Amino acid sequence: MLSEVLPTALNGLVWAMSVFLVASGLTLIFGILHILNFSHGGFVMIGAYLAFTVTNRVPGTASVAAFLGIAVACAAAVGAMGLVVDRVVFRRLKGVDDSYSLVATYALLLLCEGAVKSGWGGNFLSMSPPEGLGGALFVGDLFVPSYALFVIAAGVAVYLALDLWLHRTASGRILKSVALDPWMASLLGINVTAIFTVAVVAGFALAGLAGGLLAPNQSLSPALGGTYIIQAFGVIIVGGIGNVRGAFLAAVLLGLVDAFGTVYVPEFPGIFFFVAVAVIILFRPQGLLSGIR
Amino acid sequence: MPHPPQSRSFGVLTPLVAGLVLAAFATLPFWAEKGLVFLAGIVLVQIVFALSFNLMFGLTGLVSFGQAAFFAAGAYASAWMARSAPGLPFILSIAFGAAVGAALSFLIGLVALRRASGIYFAILTLALGQLIYTVIGKTTALGREDGLIGIARPVLDFGLFRVDLATGDRYYFLLVVAAAIISGALWWVWHGSLGRILAAIRQEPERVRFLGVDVRRHRENAFLISGTMTALAGALMAPWSQIITPMIAHWSYSALPILFCLLGGSARFWGPAVGAIVFAGLEHGTRNMTGMAELVVGGALLLVVLAMPGGILGTLARLSGRLAREGAR
Repeated sequence: MLSEVLPTALNGLVWAMSVFLVASGLTLIFGILHILNFSHGGFVMIGAYLAFTVTNRVPGTASVAAFLGIAVACAAAVGAMGLVVDRVVFRRLKGVDDSYSLVATYALLLLCEGAVKSGWGGNFLSMSPPEGLGGALFVGDLFVPSYALFVIAAGVAVYLALDLWLHRTASGRILKSVALDPWMASLLGINVTAIFTVAVVAGFALAGLAGGLLAPNQSLSPALGGTYIIQAFGVIIVGGIGNVRGAFLAAVLLGLVDAFGTVYVPEFPGIFFFVAVAVIILFRPQGLLSGIR
Repeated sequence: MPHPPQSRSFGVLTPLVAGLVLAAFATLPFWAEKGLVFLAGIVLVQIVFALSFNLMFGLTGLVSFGQAAFFAAGAYASAWMARSAPGLPFILSIAFGAAVGAALSFLIGLVALRRASGIYFAILTLALGQLIYTVIGKTTALGREDGLIGIARPVLDFGLFRVDLATGDRYYFLLVVAAAIISGALWWVWHGSLGRILAAIRQEPERVRFLGVDVRRHRENAFLISGTMTALAGALMAPWSQIITPMIAHWSYSALPILFCLLGGSARFWGPAVGAIVFAGLEHGTRNMTGMAELVVGGALLLVVLAMPGGILGTLARLSGRLAREGAR
């Protein structure tokens, strides 16, 4: 019995943490700016392609330390792109209708896809996990790829770091106060525009980090940006949009629902994710946890 | 509010330009190459798709991000029917496609409009649309990921004589006529009592509710009409492209009418049609350059959304208004 349940649960958790890595930056930006950033998946994709290129071009980058270093560098690079996007696009989207910001950022996703197609071509590329994460462990009878464990650990680590930042540090509390009431925060002498920029850069850096960490997990193609964003949308809406804790919970919940659903109804893989999202929005439109936490 | 409350009218210019565009579409096979005629047929279907979508988006402000599900429902249902019952008159297989789309949009509208609004409505319709996309891609009777291929163009039987739409450009002319009729019907709904009540709801939902109007019922009706007409567009496309794949149910296909509406201007009835034509021109012009299509379309879209909030028609109206004021001075 347990030998059937455990691999499925593991699959669900790997999916959950991959999507949480993508969704964390998305929900952070929505929590502060109230912009649902359609291009987020596109910037995850750019992070993954950057990691692919650096790993293949620079010799001696096969170790786990180099892999982590490259992921952080991707985070910095994509964070810098976030600075530009904030200046050029997001500042003009304040106070416009949701559908407008959705389409403006969808246009950004198209730009990301165009950039990836002209830079790397439309073919599928793939990279292997670093040495030390390429193998597998046996826990009892259970076959566990080390890279799967790494993705789960990375997801939990990013969640803990974000949670600590938002709840236990001064800058995190300032961020939350701006999310709650930007006008009041500005009266208290907080530079609200600068905080908005911090949130956008942090959100984009999280996208770049997710791209760098997840690059070995899949075939890279220009369609990658659109694939992840839909799952991430579901996760942040179910979690309570803008809420990092909620996104983490929702990712685990939806990952497990989808993994077990696919085992029991193998004719329609992936269907249970959408069923669960639809049902939860219907009965709890505000999500599992609401507000920024 | 994203939409100007009262949009400036172009007066006699609108029917004039609409007539010219219709004439250009109708005479296209006589002066354009075959590839362009095929593209024009697709654009005609997309115009109907976008005009139907805008009945919901432009008049209620609600973004349905699963509209492609209705398009695919119409296309798949009619193609499946035509294949299962080859002797069935064409009009009945089309009607079957529209009926399936109507049933689906009735159910989704009933569920989605009851609870969700704003961004939640968009994501809920997106999730339900992706659900239908996944189901189509895994259903053997609908060809799984490969879709349905070799969809025949029908023969119209008028009793006294028969018209084989497979020869020449005949199916294209049917598309022109059908698109004109459906657009006319949508124009009538947009400017009729339902359209005006919806426009009032968009501006002041509370006040309209106080007047005794059932706000949700009207939104459900708009969603139903919008979904049914979208399914009709899908049913018309299947024999034209002769192949349909699950991609027409994918969320990126649902994004198309939203792009057309914002590009052309969603506050005006003909805005989405202008957007569809301009979009097709942009894509056609950049089709041979890898990655260029996305860069040009994305860039143009970003420019329109950031700098021209009323879309192309809204900006033209503002410019013509300014010209008129200066002329009067």
